[in-house]
Amino acid sequence: MKEPLAWYIAGPLIGLVIPVLLILRGKQFGISSTYRFWGSYVLPRLSYFDYSRKSDLWQVQLTIGIFLSGILTGFFGQEVKLDEVTSKLHYEKVALTIYESKNWIQFLFGGILIGFGSRYANGCTAGHCIMGVSQLSLSSMIVTICFFVGGLLGSQFIIPLIF
Amino acid sequence: MKAIITVLVGLAFGWILIEAQAFSWYRIQEMFHFRSFHMFGVLFSAIATGAIAVYLIKKFKIKNIEGQVIEIKPKQLNLSSNVFGGIIFGLGWSIAGACTAPVYILTGLHWPIGIVLLIGAILGTVLFALFNQLTTKK
Repeated sequence: MKEPLAWYIAGPLIGLVIPVLLILRGKQFGISSTYRFWGSYVLPRLSYFDYSRKSDLWQVQLTIGIFLSGILTGFFGQEVKLDEVTSKLHYEKVALTIYESKNWIQFLFGGILIGFGSRYANGCTAGHCIMGVSQLSLSSMIVTICFFVGGLLGSQFIIPLIF
Repeated sequence: MKAIITVLVGLAFGWILIEAQAFSWYRIQEMFHFRSFHMFGVLFSAIATGAIAVYLIKKFKIKNIEGQVIEIKPKQLNLSSNVFGGIIFGLGWSIAGACTAPVYILTGLHWPIGIVLLIGAILGTVLFALFNQLTTKK
């Protein structure tokens, strides 16, 4: 697997998304409200989806850009994936073929947890971990710790069971 | 015009996540097994940069391009939903090896599995809306 862009370059560039969005759009960085936006077309009669969709339109535009970055990389970029196993770790072996269609049930299940959890917690890694903790907000710090608690449990104990 | 700029910001953000391999299932597992500092470094330095930006914007009462003073509000604390939602999200983050922005990257990069993941995320949101409906009724 090729080396990633160094963290000390990538991290600050990601952090800069915060002031860019505040200055250009007056919006606080977030991603998971777009799931609410799309969900509101599925079952519009639920009270959670009875809201002003327009207020999240800017975030939909942001995620269209993110989606395009995936498309463009697919067409023009090098594929980033693990090509050889260097240790006996279970997840390394799984990573070799992780994006193959045979794993669709695990991805569907993971997606459901991502959608449910991010809306229940009122934000995700963008809105809570990055935007929220940058403001030193207590709720975001609690959520971030819980993200890692869930992530550690999932990665260490659930993945060996389901993959 | 605003819409185009926002799409371009998303494109740049997505591109950085791809270059940093933050969308990679392997890198996420590596992080949760503490086998590499990379993802922690990305996250911490992003937060540090964001915190400096938020501090400066507040201190100098910086205005947005429309001339209004930028207001930054924290998300409300709600302990039970923060904790349970956080843990549920964390489980999904590790199983799919992607958080919310990488879900959109994978949708574009690794279909069909990425589309399944996005459908799952939207389905999860609909399930949350149902759960919300049931629990908030008197």
